[in-house]
Amino acid sequence: MIWIVAFVVFIMLAAAIAVLLLDNMVAAVVATSVVSLALTIIFALLRAPDVAMTEAAIGAGLSSLILAIGLKRLGYWKISDAKGEKND
Amino acid sequence: MTTLTIIALGFIAVAALFTLYRLLFGPSNADRIISADALSLITAVFLLFLALIFDSVLYLDIALVYSILSFVGIIALARVIETKTNNSKNLGED
Repeated sequence: MIWIVAFVVFIMLAAAIAVLLLDNMVAAVVATSVVSLALTIIFALLRAPDVAMTEAAIGAGLSSLILAIGLKRLGYWKISDAKGEKND
Repeated sequence: MTTLTIIALGFIAVAALFTLYRLLFGPSNADRIISADALSLITAVFLLFLALIFDSVLYLDIALVYSILSFVGIIALARVIETKTNNSKNLGED
């Protein structure tokens, strides 16, 4: 069981570092949703199903949507084409 | 945990690692969004295995809620991406 927790924590840490290091705002929002996904698994592994369900409801659906709409409205949403190259 | 459960968890871990690679180093935004979608599906399957391991029914509800809401979130992100790419129309410049 300890290896499962270590693997989930590794995924969460990699996604959190990606949030800090990526300069693409779309990728940062997607990585934030992956952090909340790993947090849901950790809450479920700690035998707290109600907290995990609340985190799934908030983190998966609502958080990424609000972040995307807010960043788009603020104008920080960087435009990139299909190859990932940013055209300013 | 039986041996079959441990093997299945290993397969889930390998799938999550490959998906995580595409999330971190994916060249385009669509790659990252699709990898997040696949990772949420892998998470739902893992929560089902958790219900099997803990022998409890409560974790099935978490898997259900997570599947529905991650679908809604991914669809919303895809719509935001789609309406953005018509031209270099940026709200900060207006």
